[in-house]
Amino acid sequence: MDIGASFSYHLLSTRIYLPMRIIAVIPAYNEESRIGAAVRDILGAVAQAVVVDDCSQDKTGAVAKEAGAIVLTHAVNRGQGAALQTATDFALDHLAADVIVHFDADGQMQASDVATLVGPILRGEADIVLGSRFLGKEAENMPVVRRLLLRCGVIFTLVLSGLRVTDSQNGFRALSRHAARDIRLTLDRMSHASEILDLIKVKGLRYQEQPVTIKYSLDTLHKSPSTWRALGIARDILKKKFVP
Amino acid sequence: MLFQIALVAFAIFASFRTWKQYQARHTSKYWFLVFGLFWTVVAAVAITPQTTDIVAKYVGVGRGADLLVYIGLVALFYAMYRVIMKQQEQSDELTELVRRLAIESGKEQLPK
Repeated sequence: MDIGASFSYHLLSTRIYLPMRIIAVIPAYNEESRIGAAVRDILGAVAQAVVVDDCSQDKTGAVAKEAGAIVLTHAVNRGQGAALQTATDFALDHLAADVIVHFDADGQMQASDVATLVGPILRGEADIVLGSRFLGKEAENMPVVRRLLLRCGVIFTLVLSGLRVTDSQNGFRALSRHAARDIRLTLDRMSHASEILDLIKVKGLRYQEQPVTIKYSLDTLHKSPSTWRALGIARDILKKKFVP
Repeated sequence: MLFQIALVAFAIFASFRTWKQYQARHTSKYWFLVFGLFWTVVAAVAITPQTTDIVAKYVGVGRGADLLVYIGLVALFYAMYRVIMKQQEQSDELTELVRRLAIESGKEQLPK
């Protein structure tokens, strides 16, 4: 497999084009039925996909490898935040990633949105680009309760971190190498999205939001964190911020 | 009287268990001595509860039994705090270990 085959090009102010290596990182837990399609989809848009099989009980790892991803296996389930950090460390240290894209294993995200996300980084306009479900591209089949909770999350982020975003819990994002080094996730489970937003402010990173399409299905909604989990996320981020 | 007997019996049982754990090298000498002293104090207080009244009056609490409850609550909350901190620390260490193993497994998939 030629993992150096796919590059994007970064335009400097001097009009010199430099190749940029884009790597997708995908945390996965019990996703054997969806991970193959997700990997094949994203491999059309990036140089390499790194899947972290977070101690799945099914064949997630084998299916992802078969689809062309590099698979890192967590021997013990450590959660989505921990899996993202594992894949990021690997992508930076062993795949020489210039841009890292966070992508989901469940097929809700569309690889066709990667270009929109990495664009501002390639042009040197942002260190991190956050996907948003509320900037024109409407999320498909999003339940009303989730929509309301996400609005609350936006207010919570503004009050706590001072960051103005339209979608605080979207897992689809792109980070420059510099931003990926600066943002070190310590919240292992679902609260990492809020931790990233907080670290953007703390580290003074330049950020942008771009519209992305998220397609919900009954299957993926069933696997998503429960509504009550939102309270747990709020607790985790408050604890992290005020009781280090 | 029945409560006193039960408490002393339990203190003896707990001391015996601590001794067995120490003998089997499941606990250190430090914790064996700490718990040995603790259960000895529990037995002594159970046998002569009036002794706690003297200490209680000295520190400004009315009854010895109240003083024991206050000390017990504070000690329990502190122990809980220590356990939570330790558990968080171990969880972070476990994540780091799992991560290192995962990355090692990934290196084998890199093209030579």
